Amino acid sequence: MLRAVGERTFLPLREFIETIGSMGVLTGKTLTSAVRPPYPYGKEFVTQFLFAVRLCWFPMIVASVAFTYGPSGVQAANFLNLFGAIDRLGGLFIVAVVREFAPLVCAIVMAGVAGTAICADLGARKIREELDALQVLGVDPIKNLVVPRFLALMLVTGMFNVYAVIFGTFGGMLVTVTNGAPLGPFFATYFTNATPTELWGSLLKTVMFGAIIAIVCCYKGLTAKGGAEGVGRAVNQAVVISFLGIGAFNYVFTQTLLATHPELTLVR
Amino acid sequence: MSTLRSIGNRTTVPFGHFLRFALRVMGDVYRLRVMQFFGEVLRQAGILVTGSVLIVLGLVFILGLQCGIEGAYGARAVGAPSVSGAFTALCDLREVTPYAFGYMMAAKVGTGIVAELGSMRISDEIDALEVMGFDSLLYLCATRLLGMWMVLPFVYIAAVAFGFVGSYIAVVNQIGEVSAGGYFQIFWQFQNPVDLLYSAIKGMLMATMVVLVGCYYGYYASGGPVGVGTATAKSMVVNIFGIHAIGMVGTQLFWGGNARAPIGG
Repeated sequence: MLRAVGERTFLPLREFIETIGSMGVLTGKTLTSAVRPPYPYGKEFVTQFLFAVRLCWFPMIVASVAFTYGPSGVQAANFLNLFGAIDRLGGLFIVAVVREFAPLVCAIVMAGVAGTAICADLGARKIREELDALQVLGVDPIKNLVVPRFLALMLVTGMFNVYAVIFGTFGGMLVTVTNGAPLGPFFATYFTNATPTELWGSLLKTVMFGAIIAIVCCYKGLTAKGGAEGVGRAVNQAVVISFLGIGAFNYVFTQTLLATHPELTLVR
Repeated sequence: MSTLRSIGNRTTVPFGHFLRFALRVMGDVYRLRVMQFFGEVLRQAGILVTGSVLIVLGLVFILGLQCGIEGAYGARAVGAPSVSGAFTALCDLREVTPYAFGYMMAAKVGTGIVAELGSMRISDEIDALEVMGFDSLLYLCATRLLGMWMVLPFVYIAAVAFGFVGSYIAVVNQIGEVSAGGYFQIFWQFQNPVDLLYSAIKGMLMATMVVLVGCYYGYYASGGPVGVGTATAKSMVVNIFGIHAIGMVGTQLFWGGNARAPIGG
């Protein structure tokens, strides 16, 4: 009885810790084989980069406009309107969009769209035994498949963050205009509150998000098993773990950034 | 012109197909035909509770913490740390909880349904059901939808509570510039039950869409084991579109013309 209870509690926990450990090992292997010559992954990198861009650009625009129009647009504009200070919306947008929502939306879209596609692709290759065939041919799957996806996702996520900021700002302009306020004060407070630290923090955060998504989705794809249901289940687990990882990393990173850079929390 | 028509056909024809599917599933629930499989409904509800609820609540909790630190630092920046409750009340209840709930429902429940139904479809189990005289759409999809509807309102209330707890921990225990009493005074002033109702409507619409999209992509999966993986990935794309559309329209509809905040007249 006691043993059954113990197994039921600790077996999933052990599995979880093992998964985390294997992902760490995969990260290490990916990093070392990315920098160690030869570099056969150039072409695959370009293909994956274009694949991710083509898949994600439209969901990205829709998501970033919607997410900034609602939470930081309508709610914040309502609040500021009560004080007659709608011109401060721009300053708020630096905090809300550049620091928080653009990276978050970016990561959610990349994990949900590009990450799932990568996981489904690798999982399909795994259960058709193509990966085993590659290994027999002497081709290293990590160097030739994981490394280009890892680098491409990091680059695309960082790049799309810039677009998420631009379209997020567009959402803010939309809210300002629907409230009947002029755009000049919006941009004035926007640019006086903007700091380079904020921008590089945002970029660094999204690049790390891209790395998390790539490692989780590649790991789940490479270890897919169990025939028909296997690939679907792998994609399911990959997206769940990615979202939780993104949330956890976001919290730690934002907290550290705000605590170590007090100039970010000044209102100008 | 032909390109335009082909784009139109690629997008509107599947959308219409999906709408017809969704209306049929909802009609089965509405006309209570689903009651002949009530045991299966309860089983699906149970699977949802034991398998997915904790993870959904986990993401809401993390984003609640996030709202808390942003609110605390933002309020400190304007020199009024005690009003961080106003920020977290708006952030948690109105926006972040529905979005986090929708994202995690899509990730955990939606793709799970696609994987499960898709593998049933390609191993011909759904056809076997039809041969045995079961209405497979009723047995597989309508039962899942009713199971979700039975459980999710309670899960949503729990999610809101988790978000509140996360913000409280971040503002009062972690940053610690406002006392618990001072935080709660502002926090409860900036929300009322109608806000909770509106927020729950948004969350329920997202969850319903996620379940229907999951059932659609799983039920019509094709192309072997690889097809199941592709369908799972595609359902996630559709879910991301839908969640953001519902979130944006809902916010504009419920709070666009009325701030519903206890300031001024």
